[in-house]
Amino acid sequence: MGADAQLVERCLAGDQAAWNELVEIYSRYVYAIVSKGFRLHGEDAEDAFQEVFLRIYDRLGTLRNPEALRPWIAQLTRRVCLDRLAASGREEPAEIEAAGTERTVEELDEAFSVREALAELSEECQEVLDRFFCRDESYRTIGEELGLPSGTIASRISRCLEKLRERFE
Amino acid sequence: MSSSLHGAGYAAAQTAAAAARLVAAVARDSTGWDGAAGVAAQANALAVRLDELATEDAEVFAAALGALAAGSRDLPMRMARAAEVPLEIARTAADVCEAAALVSERCDGLLRADAAASAALASGSALAAAQLVRANLLVAPDDPRVTQAFRAADDARASTLRALDAGS
Repeated sequence: MGADAQLVERCLAGDQAAWNELVEIYSRYVYAIVSKGFRLHGEDAEDAFQEVFLRIYDRLGTLRNPEALRPWIAQLTRRVCLDRLAASGREEPAEIEAAGTERTVEELDEAFSVREALAELSEECQEVLDRFFCRDESYRTIGEELGLPSGTIASRISRCLEKLRERFE
Repeated sequence: MSSSLHGAGYAAAQTAAAAARLVAAVARDSTGWDGAAGVAAQANALAVRLDELATEDAEVFAAALGALAAGSRDLPMRMARAAEVPLEIARTAADVCEAAALVSERCDGLLRADAAASAALASGSALAAAQLVRANLLVAPDDPRVTQAFRAADDARASTLRALDAGS
């Protein structure tokens, strides 16, 4: 049984810690769809965010395939955002869909998968990949910060990327 | 005056970006060594970073010239920014040289000349960018940014020599 399916099972069994975990794992994902996919901000974004997690709490028992928790949450978040936009009359939902929302959600999905896979790598790999790809640090800076010869950093990054790729195979 | 004047910093960043793309292409086309895809990914990331730095350099350079011409009170801040972007270009170009050296040492023989040439191009960019940091009107010769920029240029040169020596 996958991690998401186990999480769903624990939530449905009434485990409060599991609910907290679910919120912690998916809060960034939901917020990213709300703000980047549907361009809701401020109070609107906060309200949509709360509404999504209320619906998850109410409807988790209706999820047929617990392994599909993430796409289910994505779909539910889309629905909440479209409802809010339709109710406010500010923008036609069709326009929002046409504005590349699906592509944004797909990109967020991909980013989320990479983040999950990264978390399974060693701390050293996480550190070196984060410094190079996210913080734009140079090989020299990474080497100095981690006490490693700078000439070995590019090879280390390659090995870590290889391990990351294995997680997707 | 254009809001994004393309000066030497822009040219240095664009040259290093082109070199990084060449490194990525050589790594992708070169089979038989583990890590080729990883180096290609790094070189692509460096190319994207350098493209952004090229644009940023054009903007800060134009803003610094504008502030200089107008005698603006913003001048020190504008000039400082105009030194920091070339410093970042020098560092990033040095990384392109390192990636190129790694590829030169491991790639197929037929592709080695392209990898070594990429290192030479990026090394020139690093040195050019370092010179721009030093030439900044408000940067003193002993400013740490000058030291850091030329250290990056030295790193670039050392990596380039490795790339040129590979396979010989």
